[in-house]
Amino acid sequence: MNWRPRRSLALLMLALGAAAAGWVRGEVYQEPDAFVAEVFGTRPEAKVLWLTKDIQAQAAAILGHPPAQLRQRYWSDAHRSVWILEEIGKEEFITAGFVVADGRIEHVRVLVYRESRGGEIRYPAFLKQFRNSKLAPDNTLDRSIDGIAGATLSVGAMERMARLALFFDRMSRQ
Amino acid sequence: MLFFLILAVTGLILNHGAWLGFDGRYVHAGWLARWYGIQSEAPREAFRSGHHVLVAANGRWLLDGKISGERLPQPVGLIELADIFAVASETALYLFRDDGELIEKLERGALPGAPVQAIGSSARGIVLRTASGIFTSADALSWRPLTQRSVLWSAPAELSVAQRQAYEEALTPGVSVQQLLLDLHSGRFAGRYGPVFVDLLALLLAAVSLTGAWLFLVPRLHRGRH
Repeated sequence: MNWRPRRSLALLMLALGAAAAGWVRGEVYQEPDAFVAEVFGTRPEAKVLWLTKDIQAQAAAILGHPPAQLRQRYWSDAHRSVWILEEIGKEEFITAGFVVADGRIEHVRVLVYRESRGGEIRYPAFLKQFRNSKLAPDNTLDRSIDGIAGATLSVGAMERMARLALFFDRMSRQ
Repeated sequence: MLFFLILAVTGLILNHGAWLGFDGRYVHAGWLARWYGIQSEAPREAFRSGHHVLVAANGRWLLDGKISGERLPQPVGLIELADIFAVASETALYLFRDDGELIEKLERGALPGAPVQAIGSSARGIVLRTASGIFTSADALSWRPLTQRSVLWSAPAELSVAQRQAYEEALTPGVSVQQLLLDLHSGRFAGRYGPVFVDLLALLLAAVSLTGAWLFLVPRLHRGRH
């Protein structure tokens, strides 16, 4: 590889610029809208959970960093709630949809994957581990999630998002 | 010695970048951007609304004098309402509390249409002009088509040459720490022949190790025979 850093990084920066301009959106497996519509059959009105200081503190403990925004959009009916969450794996955001029913994760799907490695987290064989999981009293999952070689950070991000979805669901029902 | 130190330190940081908090970080320095051949763009205009000012360039925003994030889209406007303000780009709408804290970032599914062409304010709240029409919302949750036309649209204000230069410095494009470490570790940072130099150093290190082992073991083996 005889790439000069100038050239290789200029190419990288072009890609970053394109990403910033919205030209490159990562690997979109399903539009978040379509995910919500699939869960409910139709698209219900969005609701918002305002992150109070207390919720922010608990969310920060789950994520390992403060939540990015002060309100979280979600969709729900009497039993289920849908949360579209984003978390960084290594360098890029992973967008995932979580369906929570009666305090347990009913369904998880990776909607957009932007990292260059670790996309195996989208496979059902990995995602099925989250099914029926719930929050333990210390806001961890009630089970351990097996990792994927080469996708450790993406797996970690998925686990954090799963915990956050369950936590937000609990907060939204209080 | 220095080279081996660089190799060891960059290797360690690369392996533990997440734990050390380097992932997703950028280094902003004019000389570094020039070294990498990254063209820095000077901002041409600013968006002003009431108490807030936004200048954007090189994927970075200078919002009320504070750098706000990386790899952000070019804004199309900024508006201020009672206790919030909003910045629109073609593909997203950012709602901020008056103190600059992000309330929510709305993307495609949450917007009434895309691309967003302009943002304005009216008595009803936020107004977006999109390819699908003009829409308004008081809470950015539900949008309705806007029929009345009394909208105050956000428009950019030209910057003076001195302002452009000052803002360009503040908005210097960044190089990701991950990329920088990889280039330092592999030698690519030094250009085309950097990796060859690192390869030679690796071979030299291997030779030193082997000859060292040889010098240590051979006298002992000879002594054992006698």
